[in-house]
Amino acid sequence: MSTVLTAPSSPAVKKTRTPRQRRARQIILQDNAWRCVIIGLILLLWQTGVDHKFIDPFLMGSPAGIGAEAWRMMLSGQLLTDTMATVKATVIGFLGGSILGSLSGLLLWYCKRLARILDPFLIALNGLPKISLAPMIIIWFGSGMFSKVALAFIATFVVATLTAYQGSHQIDQSLVNLMRSLGAKQQQIFTKLVVPATMPWIISAFRLNIGFALIAEIGGEFISSDTGLGHLIFVNGNLFNLNAVWVGVLALMVVAVALYLVVSQVEKHLFSWSRQ
Amino acid sequence: MNAAVRTAAISDTEPYKQEVAISLKHLRKTFEDEDGNLVEVIRDITLDVREKEFISIVGPSGCGKTTMFNIISSLIEPSDGEIILRKWRPKERRGSQIGYMLQRDLLFPWRTILDNVSLGLELSGASKAECHDKAYDYLSRYGLGDFAKAYPSALSGGMRQRAALIRTLITDPDIILLDEPFSALDYQTRLVLEDEIVSILREFGKTVVLITHDIGEAIAMSDRIAVMTQRPTMVKNLYDVGLARQYGSCIKARSDARYQTLFDEIWADLDIQLGAHRS
Ligand SMILES: Nc1ncnc2c1ncn2[C@@H]1O[C@H](COP(=O)(O)OP(=O)(O)OP(=O)(O)O)[C@@H](O)[C@H]1O
Ligand SMILES: [Mg+2]
Repeated sequence: MSTVLTAPSSPAVKKTRTPRQRRARQIILQDNAWRCVIIGLILLLWQTGVDHKFIDPFLMGSPAGIGAEAWRMMLSGQLLTDTMATVKATVIGFLGGSILGSLSGLLLWYCKRLARILDPFLIALNGLPKISLAPMIIIWFGSGMFSKVALAFIATFVVATLTAYQGSHQIDQSLVNLMRSLGAKQQQIFTKLVVPATMPWIISAFRLNIGFALIAEIGGEFISSDTGLGHLIFVNGNLFNLNAVWVGVLALMVVAVALYLVVSQVEKHLFSWSRQ
Repeated sequence: MNAAVRTAAISDTEPYKQEVAISLKHLRKTFEDEDGNLVEVIRDITLDVREKEFISIVGPSGCGKTTMFNIISSLIEPSDGEIILRKWRPKERRGSQIGYMLQRDLLFPWRTILDNVSLGLELSGASKAECHDKAYDYLSRYGLGDFAKAYPSALSGGMRQRAALIRTLITDPDIILLDEPFSALDYQTRLVLEDEIVSILREFGKTVVLITHDIGEAIAMSDRIAVMTQRPTMVKNLYDVGLARQYGSCIKARSDARYQTLFDEIWADLDIQLGAHRS
């Protein structure tokens, strides 16, 4: 046979940086510099305001006070203990809920009937603010870590189930037909088409779920707990120790960003194909 | 399976029928839409596809051509009628000797070209090494060797379409169904691919059924052309062509005097229906 089209040149990509990539990196660096400037300015204005009595440190806290408080809590080990307690409960609940939720959502693809029957329940549960379940959960599971894990689990499970189920139902019927025309069995269609095609949906559920897990976790700690960042914030709020509250809030932010980064890293790894 | 449907092997001792690869007998298909109304899509298709021929199906948009392919490859069941395959092996799925290239390339974006192309082998339980060896073979033979490790998003439309064709060919089916394989391509790529595909398929002695909207393409590539009516569809007319076989090239086939005559005749066949549709 005659290949009329000449084979195009190799698509192998060289790893040296082009001027354009260098420029992009420079822009990122500049953006980061600006971000630091903004934070610095806010802190400076805040501290100056406190120093000149424009801002009441009792109601607002002050950067210097926050720094001192953070240092004290770090030395006493309280900050680490509370952060770890929160991270542990959040991560266990988040992973458990997101993974099991995604699996059940995917499995609903197998039983269209069950999916149809459960659909309104899932929608209703999804709309329900899960924190409203906290009093019940705490009665059932106590005020320890387990109740927080359960709350984070419930909050993330429903989102993951619904997302994975909706994702798997939006798969193009032509792709299913293609698999069947190649002789695929139902189970092969599931593993080789449904699971990978739903992956982007599942990852987006994971990303949303970081926030949901933290809300459920902190909410649970507000209601009843003896450790954790939510506990720290709640107790110090009641004592009007605003500096300590700020330390708790900032630590939470760090936790959220760290979790987010981990998920993005996994995403990058899983979807290397989409960047080509 | 519907009681009226029978997939049977024709005995090889019948000399006349030996030539027929697929025999469609009074095929009918009626869909039920969401409101429970019956939509008659295929009224009666009776058509013999001969062994190793290249036959094109031309018909108005939405007349039921894809539905016909779906029935032949047993993705859906007909409402009535028979499909008889000559080389049907009783224990096998009817689809297993039919390669069906669907209307779009439908490459999986998360698989490399190599893995996309070997999908059919993988599904039949071949080992990974076996799949990859064969896939490499096919890819390099058809000028995609350098792209084995690339993802589909890195390929041009023509290359993606070629990858889809390789995916269809790699399981070595006797019969190939092509549903508008060129519709997404620009004119030049089309002309080139037409020639390539005809020569590849002829080299392997495949029986080919091609659906196309392009009358010129049908004439340039086919041994025969079946023109379909508006929905509910039937075979309206059959034309003997054979220009590509005679010249050994689809591009040369287009410069034959019969090309224009055939074009006008088929156009007239379709135009009547388009006119009827408009009124
Ligand atoms: N599952 C289905 N349920 C109901 N109607 C259907 C179904 N599948 C196809 N149809 C209808 O059958 C008709 C024919 O569809 P088909 O896809 O076979 O046409 P086609 O000739 O391939 O069209 P095109 O040239 O646009 O590809 C269309 O009107 C379509 O709406
Ligand atoms: Mg079609």
